[in-house]
Amino acid sequence: MHDNRPLAIPLISATLVGLTIFWALPENLGFWRSLAIVSGWAGCGLLAASLLLMIREAKLAAWLGGLESMYRWHHRLGVSAYLILLIHPLALAASGWAESPALAWAMLAPWQQSWPVWLGWAALLCLMTGLALALSPAMPYARWRGLHNLLALAIVLALGHLLLLGLDYLLLWSPLLALAFILWRVLRADLGLAASPHVVAQVAHPTPTVVEVRLRPLTRPLAARPGQFVLAAFLDGPGFRGCGEYHPYTVSAVAPDGEIALGIKALGDCTSHLQAVVPGVAARIEGPFGDFLAGRPAGPEFWLAGGIGITPFLGVLRSGPLPDPVRLIYLHRNEHDAAFRDEIATLAKAQPRLALDVVACGDRLPDLATLLPAAPALAGHECYLCGPPGLLAAAVRVLAQRGVRPAHIHFEHFDFR
Amino acid sequence: MMRKLFLLGTGVFWIAILVVWVGSRWLPPPAERPPTSAGKQFTMDEIARHASPEDCWMAIERTVYDLTRYLPEHPSRSGIVEPWCGKEATQAYRTKMKGRPHSPEADHLLTQYGIGVLEEP
Repeated sequence: MHDNRPLAIPLISATLVGLTIFWALPENLGFWRSLAIVSGWAGCGLLAASLLLMIREAKLAAWLGGLESMYRWHHRLGVSAYLILLIHPLALAASGWAESPALAWAMLAPWQQSWPVWLGWAALLCLMTGLALALSPAMPYARWRGLHNLLALAIVLALGHLLLLGLDYLLLWSPLLALAFILWRVLRADLGLAASPHVVAQVAHPTPTVVEVRLRPLTRPLAARPGQFVLAAFLDGPGFRGCGEYHPYTVSAVAPDGEIALGIKALGDCTSHLQAVVPGVAARIEGPFGDFLAGRPAGPEFWLAGGIGITPFLGVLRSGPLPDPVRLIYLHRNEHDAAFRDEIATLAKAQPRLALDVVACGDRLPDLATLLPAAPALAGHECYLCGPPGLLAAAVRVLAQRGVRPAHIHFEHFDFR
Repeated sequence: MMRKLFLLGTGVFWIAILVVWVGSRWLPPPAERPPTSAGKQFTMDEIARHASPEDCWMAIERTVYDLTRYLPEHPSRSGIVEPWCGKEATQAYRTKMKGRPHSPEADHLLTQYGIGVLEEP
């Protein structure tokens, strides 16, 4: 992933936190009371920054270095906000501790206080529970998504906490901004107002667990390039009931008339169900996102594809002759799992600059030390990798051992939880 | 990494909460401080001369408080408290937010700012 603006997100976050604290910075207060106020507002600023990064807009994503970078920072800032917000009640208690431990406890116990403190605790507990669930990697996607809403509820409760405290209205701009970002995300992305309507024009099954869907735009075509990805939700159609969830899929072909193709592997409930999609099914598409394989510098390239990770490379091969020499190693489990193998072999014959190796590796992680080119054959190459996380991690390790610098290794994690 | 930080922070938080609770139950309460200005009496006219945020006295339940130092600490916006400077504010103090009184913690804080009592009419 080329991160064109590595400082954009930290700068925006620092501005949001800095402005919030500047507005609310207490004067002539004790240390603990000041810390309580500053931690509360710093947490609000960080939450607002985290929620800005949840917005899925193609232009914003391109400006902020890509959706992957945004989601990574969304996690970092969300957890940082939570950790800083934990200081808020503890510092309030600490401010009363010197007077008496009973007073410190009275600061925390909502039944000794009133509605603002109840709401503050409810917001913190929602944030705590929501984050605990959001950070659970094993949770099924649909449940994970539903419980993620607890985090949005935490913002609403926090706003109630601040309103009932009777704070200066000007101070409420950061929680209101956070709420606005949530609404933007829900309306534009989750409810699909930003999505472009498409219809499934054609369906092919390169393997029993992969479907390639060609989508015809019903309005203005997307300006997608091969190697980019879109977020697509498949709805209902003739004899097919779509799951309606937005998932990321790589663009495997772009036609001059705006028709795009997506390669979809059965990896979860929704994508397994999509294997039965038929022409005529409605779809909504957001994007395009990502710059994998975009703006590649001139010179020799090494491509490594694992399984369905072949789709971005397929998109480039389909789009025309390669300008530079490319060595492509396509790893798959077995013959039944090798999506597009025959088509790639045909394309390779028409691409004089392409050297192709198709390797069946079975169910175990292949021995990349043997499969990947030796150090001299990688010198001066840009390396592009696409495949499952385990394969990517192993390949990056081997390439680094062979002297390829990180700046010349390009990949996307494709993990949007 | 994020998961580890979350678990660590949450664990430390609940331990700290537990420490505060245990302290409130088992540590001895501080000795009662004698009122600093017991017996000193003020009239409403005198209190009314201290009616600005920079010099803010209030009478609450017949006790007179100099809340000048406390005003910056009060969580509400200034428009809620400051109009009561220089006035008898018992009803306002008792009816915070739709008729509910202040918390015991606020009552305790208030005692620190007492400077005397309201003169009998």
